[in-house]
Amino acid sequence: MSEIYSVELIDVLKRFGNVVAVDHVNLKIRENEFFSLLGPSGCGKTTTLRIIAGLEEPDEGIVKLYGEDVTDVPTHKRNIGMVFQHLALFPHMNVFDNIAFGLKMRKTPKEEIKRKVKEALEIVKLEGLENRRVNQLSGGQQQRVALARALVIEPEVLLLDEPLGALDLKIRQHMMVELKNIQRRVKTTFIYVTHDQTEAMTMSDRIAIMKDGRIQQIGTPLEIYYRPSNTFVASFIGEAVNLIIGEIGENNVMNTSLGTVYCPEQSIKGKAAVMVRPEMLEIGENLSQVDNLFKGIVQAAIFKGSYIEYRVDVQGTIFIVHKHGIDGMEKFYTPGTLVEIGWKKNSSLTIPV
Amino acid sequence: MKIMSSFLKIFTIMVFLFLYSPIIVMIIFSFNESKSLGVFTNFSLKWYEKVVTNPEVWRALYNSFWVGAVVTFVSIVLGLMMAMAVTRYSFSGKSILESLILIPIIIPEIAEALSLMIMYIFLNIPLGPVTVIIGHIAFSISYVTVVMRARMAGYDKSIEEAARTLGANELQTFFRITLPTLYPAILAAGLLAFTLSFDDLIKTLFTTGPGFKTLPLVIWSSAARGGVSPELNSLSSFALSISFIFALFRLRTERSVGR
Repeated sequence: MSEIYSVELIDVLKRFGNVVAVDHVNLKIRENEFFSLLGPSGCGKTTTLRIIAGLEEPDEGIVKLYGEDVTDVPTHKRNIGMVFQHLALFPHMNVFDNIAFGLKMRKTPKEEIKRKVKEALEIVKLEGLENRRVNQLSGGQQQRVALARALVIEPEVLLLDEPLGALDLKIRQHMMVELKNIQRRVKTTFIYVTHDQTEAMTMSDRIAIMKDGRIQQIGTPLEIYYRPSNTFVASFIGEAVNLIIGEIGENNVMNTSLGTVYCPEQSIKGKAAVMVRPEMLEIGENLSQVDNLFKGIVQAAIFKGSYIEYRVDVQGTIFIVHKHGIDGMEKFYTPGTLVEIGWKKNSSLTIPV
Repeated sequence: MKIMSSFLKIFTIMVFLFLYSPIIVMIIFSFNESKSLGVFTNFSLKWYEKVVTNPEVWRALYNSFWVGAVVTFVSIVLGLMMAMAVTRYSFSGKSILESLILIPIIIPEIAEALSLMIMYIFLNIPLGPVTVIIGHIAFSISYVTVVMRARMAGYDKSIEEAARTLGANELQTFFRITLPTLYPAILAAGLLAFTLSFDDLIKTLFTTGPGFKTLPLVIWSSAARGGVSPELNSLSSFALSISFIFALFRLRTERSVGR
């Protein structure tokens, strides 16, 4: 039995003039999944979302919603909801009419509209604001109205285009948790476009990383963080990453400009990069129990609260080390100190380049 | 600095005196009992009485209103379509089109009026209300387009896309979303078109047929016939007050849009 996906893109391609915005994208999004499209601006993530919504027509490829080919179905006949980047609330309507719009278009009876709008307002915690004008609401409240308006029509898929971008940090963090809770409660597929990895990591079941119109990797937050499939994903995800380029020969040994680096078992052969996350690096004066050890000079030490970020210069290559669980001042290395850094080969990963 | 600011104050007052004293004098002398334009003798409403009891004035006022209404409606529909075309779509010749639409605003009205008349005669179209209306539309459409285009420049198209995702087809989106959000711009442009049509003399003069007169035309022909008289003063004051009401309306809508 083949699985039915809520959204399926098959070899979708979209050009704007000479620019290929979406380049042979294939996606299979499961039912009730919180799925994020993550990438730097201009990577094609918003265009991909708009193709799913029917607001852009793909030049090539097929769009399927629940197994049905909707490539030529206009937006208003696809059962989707969308939350826009700048919310796009109707300025000439109050909160009730904004939320009721989709139901009115579906010719829902008046009593039912009243009941459903009330329910939607409860879900987004805006009870009692039906008669407010939308420009009298705060940014966070407008956000909730936009969400309620898209959810009230009970769409098969909810598309969200950087909806939290305009909010300040505190409300954004709060809304992230809230969105995830709402998604669990309404049991709908959410497709979330963002350039903010924290948002994607916090909420998503799976994430697709995009660059230059192409999908780089699809995986769970853990997978893309610890098992990036290429150096772009490795450096895009996470606060920082250490990548050492070299040539892997026999016995998982890599020759680099810094010397020999021992890589994990069954590493690929040939030109590759070895990736070590900053928190996997150890720093000290007399390190033992590490497979790779280098001497370097502390160039900068930045206190970040729960950890210290060191930048260590090893023969001209800068390593970033995150030292957690600091107990006292004696272990704080000031710039200029000669230190050792090292890591176990199994905390690293080799990536083809 | 102080000398400068008091100089500016006096200068401003003089500019306003220069602008408004003729109108004020005209209004004052429309209440003058004597026929003299030099000496104010007694307050009287007799010239106004003459104006309001003159059927020609009422007929002309009626003509002015319905011509204005037709001109407003047609130029709003055409101007809205034009403004939407140039703000939303890119097509070849767009920049030429955008400049062409401005030309009726800058070329002398007399030239436009004359060319219209020549065209009507050439095409053998009988002069009358229809030719007057076409003439008025030909320039008010430019003003309407300019006003609407300015308002639509900041228009967020994503509200239309939002309506589409909520199940509205293109027609429903236009009537329920686009038109209501553009309503203030349409109102402002409409009042402008109406005032322009209501005040127009030159084009009307050149394009009207026998017997069809608008209010400015009645004022013009009575001045041509009998020279300046208190009756003409009161007639002009009467026309002025109507235009003034519309201008006030326009200012109010513009202010409410600006908020």
